[in-house]
Amino acid sequence: MQPNVNVISLVSVGRHPQSGRARRAEQDGRAVELGLKLAGKNLTVVHAGNPQEPVLRQYAGMGLSSLTVLEQAQGCDALPALVSFLTENSVNIVLTGVRSENGESSGMLPYLLADQLNWPLVPRVADIVSVSAESAEVLLALPRGQRRSVIVTLPFIASVDNAAQEARQTAFGPGLRADFHVLAMDTVVDEAAHQWKITAAKPRPKRLKVVKAKTAADRMKAATAKPVGSGGKIMKNETPEEKAKAIFDLLLEEKVVR
Amino acid sequence: MMLDWLVPTLISVLLVLAGIGAVRRMNMWRAGQAEKVDMLAGLLAMPKRYLHDLHHVVDRDKYISRTHVATGGGFVLAMVLVVFVHLFGVDSKILAWALLAALVMMFCGALFVYKRRINPPSRLSKGPWMRLPKSLLTFSITFFVLTLPAAGVLPEGFGGWLLTLVLSVLILMSLSEMLFGMTWGGPMKHAFAGALHLAFHRRPERFGGGRSTGLKPVDFGDGVSVKEVLGVAKPTDFKWNQLLGFDACVQCGRCEAVCPAFAAGQPLNPKKLIQDMVVGFAGGTDENYAGSPYPGIDLGHAKGAPNQIITDGLIHPDTLWSCTTCRACVEECPMMIEHVDAIVDMRRFLTLEKGSTPNKGAQVLENIIATDNPNGYAPASRTHWAADQNLPVMKDVKQADVLFWVSDGAFDMRSQRILRAFVKLMKAANVDVAILGDEELDSGDVARRLGDDATFQSLAKRNLATLSTYQFNKIVTTDPHAFHCLKNEYGDFGSDALQNVEVLHHTTFLNRLVKDGLLQLEPFKGGKVTYHDPCYLGRYNGEYEAPRELLASLGIDVAEMERSKFRSRCCGGGGGAPITDIPGERRIADMRMEDVVSTGASMVAVGCQQCTAMLEGVVEPRPVVKDIAEILAGQLIEETH
Amino acid sequence: MSDFSSTARSLNNGVRRDPRNEWIARNRLHPLHDSVMSARQGEVRGPSGLLRKNPHIIGFIGPNGIKRIDRANLSSTELNSKKRTSEAQETLLPLHIVENPDGYIMVVADMVGGRLTRHDKDILGLAHQLATEKAAVAVVLVCFGENKETQFDLAGVDRLIHLAGQEFNGFAPEARLAALEQIETQFYPDYWLFPDSVNGGADLASRLAARLGERPATQAWQVNGTQTICRGASSSVDISRATPRILMLLEECADAIDRTRHQVLPLALDVNVNTKQRLFDQGQIAVDSNAVPLAEAEFILSAGNGIHNWDQFHAAAAALGATEGASRVAVDDGFMPRSRQVGASGTWVTARVYVAVGISGAIQHMQGIGQCDKVVAINTDAGCDMVKRADLAVIADSEEILAELTRLAQQHASLASLEEKSDAA
Repeated sequence: MQPNVNVISLVSVGRHPQSGRARRAEQDGRAVELGLKLAGKNLTVVHAGNPQEPVLRQYAGMGLSSLTVLEQAQGCDALPALVSFLTENSVNIVLTGVRSENGESSGMLPYLLADQLNWPLVPRVADIVSVSAESAEVLLALPRGQRRSVIVTLPFIASVDNAAQEARQTAFGPGLRADFHVLAMDTVVDEAAHQWKITAAKPRPKRLKVVKAKTAADRMKAATAKPVGSGGKIMKNETPEEKAKAIFDLLLEEKVVR
Repeated sequence: MMLDWLVPTLISVLLVLAGIGAVRRMNMWRAGQAEKVDMLAGLLAMPKRYLHDLHHVVDRDKYISRTHVATGGGFVLAMVLVVFVHLFGVDSKILAWALLAALVMMFCGALFVYKRRINPPSRLSKGPWMRLPKSLLTFSITFFVLTLPAAGVLPEGFGGWLLTLVLSVLILMSLSEMLFGMTWGGPMKHAFAGALHLAFHRRPERFGGGRSTGLKPVDFGDGVSVKEVLGVAKPTDFKWNQLLGFDACVQCGRCEAVCPAFAAGQPLNPKKLIQDMVVGFAGGTDENYAGSPYPGIDLGHAKGAPNQIITDGLIHPDTLWSCTTCRACVEECPMMIEHVDAIVDMRRFLTLEKGSTPNKGAQVLENIIATDNPNGYAPASRTHWAADQNLPVMKDVKQADVLFWVSDGAFDMRSQRILRAFVKLMKAANVDVAILGDEELDSGDVARRLGDDATFQSLAKRNLATLSTYQFNKIVTTDPHAFHCLKNEYGDFGSDALQNVEVLHHTTFLNRLVKDGLLQLEPFKGGKVTYHDPCYLGRYNGEYEAPRELLASLGIDVAEMERSKFRSRCCGGGGGAPITDIPGERRIADMRMEDVVSTGASMVAVGCQQCTAMLEGVVEPRPVVKDIAEILAGQLIEETH
Repeated sequence: MSDFSSTARSLNNGVRRDPRNEWIARNRLHPLHDSVMSARQGEVRGPSGLLRKNPHIIGFIGPNGIKRIDRANLSSTELNSKKRTSEAQETLLPLHIVENPDGYIMVVADMVGGRLTRHDKDILGLAHQLATEKAAVAVVLVCFGENKETQFDLAGVDRLIHLAGQEFNGFAPEARLAALEQIETQFYPDYWLFPDSVNGGADLASRLAARLGERPATQAWQVNGTQTICRGASSSVDISRATPRILMLLEECADAIDRTRHQVLPLALDVNVNTKQRLFDQGQIAVDSNAVPLAEAEFILSAGNGIHNWDQFHAAAAALGATEGASRVAVDDGFMPRSRQVGASGTWVTARVYVAVGISGAIQHMQGIGQCDKVVAINTDAGCDMVKRADLAVIADSEEILAELTRLAQQHASLASLEEKSDAA
């Protein structure tokens, strides 16, 4: 669709929120989907890590004929490998997820890449509307389904938000048949991360409704009394006009009607 | 006399042409994939399969079975004798009289065929099929007249050149239909292909009262090289005997009449599907198809060729995804064609190769892969429903008499009521039971029907590995889908985990407990009750009686629906149909609930959680839906100590 | 309403006599005697205007027959209690003063809509926790663009850097980053605190961290001067690490400030944004409310079996600017597409306001709307589950109510456009 744009989607190994099993990461899948929309068959998909990882077949099953793997051991920093890969290849657009589903999940990778390559970065992209020779128009995903249009000069990095087009279904057969180009890389071990202590997530305490009461009786009441007005208001015998007005007032009060 | 040489010549020319057609047709079938078939045994068994098994199905409609015996039997006999009398010129009065008798029989049969065609039901195909009774009558009359001299009734050379000419034309007409048409695609093709189809059927176990309902596994190769295509993309990707089977179709439309998706106005008609398969491997368009179309899809636009991808122009994928795999069509088909196998084969291509499972299909498959259940619940929450049930877990006890296969109903709050009711009954009968707990995985039923055989096989192998570590005598499950997988489909994966293990549906198992007097039940005093046969319990596994006996043991006289037992109408919940959710004019569950309402029952008893969910999804007011286990548990007299 | 009445009463602080009440108070046989006495408990004035106390009238008989004295006046909703609370609010919180700070903690706020969010306030609270670990550290709030916040002092802002220039408005990460770099060189803060949010906080923090070459802590939720606990691997693990200089913090990482006032002194910054711009904001684009994904929608008008006039329903949704939803039955019957189905088998929604029209509320549907703040039910059946769940339930035929709502919405829209015109004039 777009003329002569080299698009690269970076993919990682995701983690299913319920089972904790490895899966195609939500946002990375969307990055591939967006890449396929922009570049079609010419999309390059790159993973830094273990080329034997079965999840990569799930990405390949989206219709990729090949997938590039920058081979790295567990616990290595993907950044230097990706920077050298991106500088060696002429690339116009790099698509990543916002935050990985595994490891530190800091979401820093696209920023560090952008900083090292000195490219602009657009965060949380919902769609890339058009690409020309020098620039592209992208839509940023804002909360509550809102969108912002931004023009960015090429080359750039975009992190893809969950609001982007959902990743297509992965097909088992093509996934198995895809070729993997494995490139050996100089690996840098992430020393800092080795100092960290990693434990299973503790449930966070719910914030209590702290009552700043001056008297003991006030505090006692706050601790024991039922919250008032939990039952909803029911309007039965009013006129339709009154009923509708009550609803409309609630909508105005909640600021959903402006 | 002119006829002396004309008749044998015509017969032999048409026989030769028929022979050429037969070879050509066989080559079309041979374009399919190789499949090992015991040819000789099949051919030897063919007459019995025809006379017994096929006739048994046809005989559900007495009118047509008798008609067919007369017409078909008469024709086969007459044709053999025609060859002797008129081709080889065997001069025997006995043979000639036999031929006359056969022709009279055929004539009588053909009259009834003709009568049937005067005002045919909508399920029957028209077009060339309307011509067939006339051809049959012509054949019988013509050869009757021709044989009269040989039988000595009329003098040789009777009638002169005019009659000779007329008879020659009639011979040409009728023999073209009966011989040439048989191998070149006319209506009589069914006799030729049907006979061979019976001989080389892909599921020979179905003959002689057997049952073969498990899907055949996809061959994923040795793990090194990947097959070029998984599932069926092009007509030639079918096994050769599947192609042969498609050709056997007589377009009687019995499948169409029972298909729930067709009735719901979804774009599926099993008869048209089989005809499209024929269009596919023979090449051409569906212009000549003269039956009901797929609801909502016009005729004449489908094009096919042996090496063209089926879903590119021949069949819309929605047609394939409309199927609930209820097997009603297969059960009804007098030619024993396997519609469901074909549909799932093509779905496999769509899912495994194209990645185009519609609607929620992709998400469900992803969930099954990542969490081993279709809704993506945490695998560690599988046993939460049994927190208060005090059920032993196999991991702890290692062995038990009965392994209760809970199935994915464990995650659904409605199904949990069924599970609890069943556990209550087992406890009352002091059954030595254990569950797998979190070790149990989805049976793979949904994945398989949605075409993802890779996931199904992975689940099956992992489940079998788990099962093989424990000792038990029976597996009992409340889910007919899991029951079917365990009983009929897990056997293909070379595990001995289920050897010497009885796989039972809970209704069968409960029925035994009741018969053994292990459950004290008080009679049911509610209103009228009807029973809905789940497809995967009834048609797939032949269990029609145990649920009825159970209800009878409560003193319930089941008010049967018009469509019950092997003709039961699907609830619409099978084959992943609620997931792929192809729009139609109405919902299958609503139609089934109408069946229920028409009996006047205030409660419908079910033996399947999926059916329960589908029928309960019908807007109220409607009869109550309850699993048999729930009804039984409600009538249980609990011993007080 | 309530504000208005409280001001009216506060004008009324002078003594006013009510002769009739006094008369009733003296007459113990008067039928209203008890209520008047209890209403005026604690403050009875004699004929001369002197305050009189009747020791017998204090308290009331509790449910178990024992006399109780309610010293906190909790059960009384009378004027004197109201007055007391309004007085209490007026008391000034102590002012937290930082003179000549040795160090700074920078809090870069999201300021959604020009106001501090709850998230921002939590982070200001955390900043003060960190500040107490060192001597004389000022918490500095850095904010960009529009500012409507009036209560910086109560939220814990010691110093304020407000960059109001046009170049910082909207989506301007480059200019904002340049400003933050400026702050870094000018003040070299002890910590940089950002909300780890989708409102721009995480983005700006990541840019700054990449530029400064600092490894930030992300999704941090427990922080002190030495150790930080962060969530990682899609919130499935906790990572304990030394506290870095740049932190992106989760909501509720600390309690907001509520007992002190702060100075809010402006800090001067030599703004000198001169970067090459590569991102050009084209502004927010109008999104059709019906194109908003159901899961994200803020306001959903949802239709069920009780809807008969579908054109009217669509018109009402359009007039109200609501995203359309539907129950399973409405979808099954083909009136709405499957993508609009709300519930456990459809989409789980997070709307702030959910209006259920003609939906009785099957359990799967109720599960799907579990996270909605306000639920409004329009239904003919007063006993259905949706009415029980609703914050406001209207028992009526949907057609009438929808027609009236459409009319109100249109009226409201035309009024608003009139106002706009008059504003412009």
